[in-house]
Amino acid sequence: MSLKNILAVALGIFSAIGGFVDIGDLVFNTQAGATFGFQLLWVVVVGVLGIIVYSEMCGRVSAVSERPVFDLVRERTGFGAGLATLVASEVVNLMTCAAEIGGVAICLQLLSGLPYRVLIPLAVIGLAVSSWVLPFRWIERVFGYLGLCLLVFAVAAIKLHPDWSQVAHGFIPGSHSGGSLMVYLYFVVGLLGAAMTPYEVYFYSSGVVEDHWGPKDLGLNKVTAMIGYGLGGFLSFALMIVSAILFLPSGISPQFLGTPALAVEHTFGQVGLLLALVGILFAVGGAAIETSFAGAYNLAQFFGWNWGKKARPARAPRFALSWVVIFALALLVVMTGYDPVKLTEYSVIFSVVALPLTYLPILLVANDHSYMGAHVNGKLANFLGVLYFIVILVIAVAAIPLLLLTNGGQG
Amino acid sequence: MDVPRRRRSPVLILEHSKRVALPLKRMLGLAVILTLVGTGCDGGRQLGAKELLQQSKSLQSEAAEGALLAEDAVSGKATSIYTREHAFELYRAASEIEASLKAAVSEPALELELGKLAVLANQISADLKRLSSASTVEQRILTRELHKAAQASQKLGEGLA
Repeated sequence: MSLKNILAVALGIFSAIGGFVDIGDLVFNTQAGATFGFQLLWVVVVGVLGIIVYSEMCGRVSAVSERPVFDLVRERTGFGAGLATLVASEVVNLMTCAAEIGGVAICLQLLSGLPYRVLIPLAVIGLAVSSWVLPFRWIERVFGYLGLCLLVFAVAAIKLHPDWSQVAHGFIPGSHSGGSLMVYLYFVVGLLGAAMTPYEVYFYSSGVVEDHWGPKDLGLNKVTAMIGYGLGGFLSFALMIVSAILFLPSGISPQFLGTPALAVEHTFGQVGLLLALVGILFAVGGAAIETSFAGAYNLAQFFGWNWGKKARPARAPRFALSWVVIFALALLVVMTGYDPVKLTEYSVIFSVVALPLTYLPILLVANDHSYMGAHVNGKLANFLGVLYFIVILVIAVAAIPLLLLTNGGQG
Repeated sequence: MDVPRRRRSPVLILEHSKRVALPLKRMLGLAVILTLVGTGCDGGRQLGAKELLQQSKSLQSEAAEGALLAEDAVSGKATSIYTREHAFELYRAASEIEASLKAAVSEPALELELGKLAVLANQISADLKRLSSASTVEQRILTRELHKAAQASQKLGEGLA
């Protein structure tokens, strides 16, 4: 591998780390840490392994077939099932995009002191202009690298000197204390949903096609998925550990997006606070762009329109219009004044319900010789794929009842 | 090919719009009523021990978070903008709880706890409002007050559990 390629892999991994955390991870990891301490760390491991398994599979399918996943979903499952998947994913995308935009506006408010309602349209305009003007690679890099400011949470987690034996104990699933079983299960579902959000898979597979990856890039696909998401998972650990140390003992239940930043501020002062807010701003802003693009990719690929960020808008007008409309609809949702944190909780739980519709077609296509040839799923990929699909089915069934029974994790 | 359209008389259009408007108004009225019933308006809502416990936990959380924020503001760890904006968010949440507690009723056995919680909510929301624009001296006082309020909420919650 040449130095240039190594550098490209490193840059891709860094942007993946910064882009891994979105508003769902911020909300669920800090709330889980504040409620159950370190006891749910094992769920992050399960979730990260799941997204690695399916992202690798998805990237491989796109690289080998040179077609995006949604194109194959419609072809493989037929119009009806494809349409159901499309509708479910578009609803979840819109909710997630709205929550991320609300998150961007809150961060800007905490940084600038300007009114939230003024900042919402400004945030949307900023994100839309960035999406329009910046090349695909620069969007990934700018938002991914600045999102890396979130690493301040990892440094804070170390500086707070947790009891590492207790932290290690959190990686083993077992009995719980600090809340009811229902609330514990609600957070298990929420953390898995936040880690395995469908838009990440759609965005990733479309990026593979846009970057013209082929079978020769399967190694790169594997490395990016494993190291990028794997290291990104460390940010989730850090959020949960920091929250467990600072918020759990005082009974703070984080209900605001500004609360995680308070933990870093308490540890490092104003520099830490600014790094945390900038990190959240760009991680959440990047995720807002990803969700709007994922929605546009899905629509364009399902209906067979020209698509691609790299194509000029004049060559893919319906694709460009789609992501603009998604931003506009998300703007309307946020302007209603609905709390972005609550919206995040609902979007994550509803995305869990839609997970089987996303991952089953990928699993089917990855096992289809006519699409994949020699690159069909191996035994390990199939074992993990099927195992995770069973997990996904179980949490999809349990998600809504747990949301209702626990009053959104309140108990 | 163009298909000739029949022009409708303005009178017919008006009558049609009236026929449409009446059920529409009824539906809108029904929607408003359902929304008000759905949200409960929090007016006269009966709170049991479980709901009161939940409210005490929320108050404890907001007071404790406010105390931490005030402490950091005193030691210069927080920016003034962050202190103001985040304290105001906490104040809004606490004042919502205060409003719902004031409007609520409870079983006779829990009336004392409801009253205590309402007073506490009033104090916490007032402290958080002050924190959003407090001087360093005031922030120091508010740190202690909010810390005590968080402990009082916790104690009340333990009594309800």
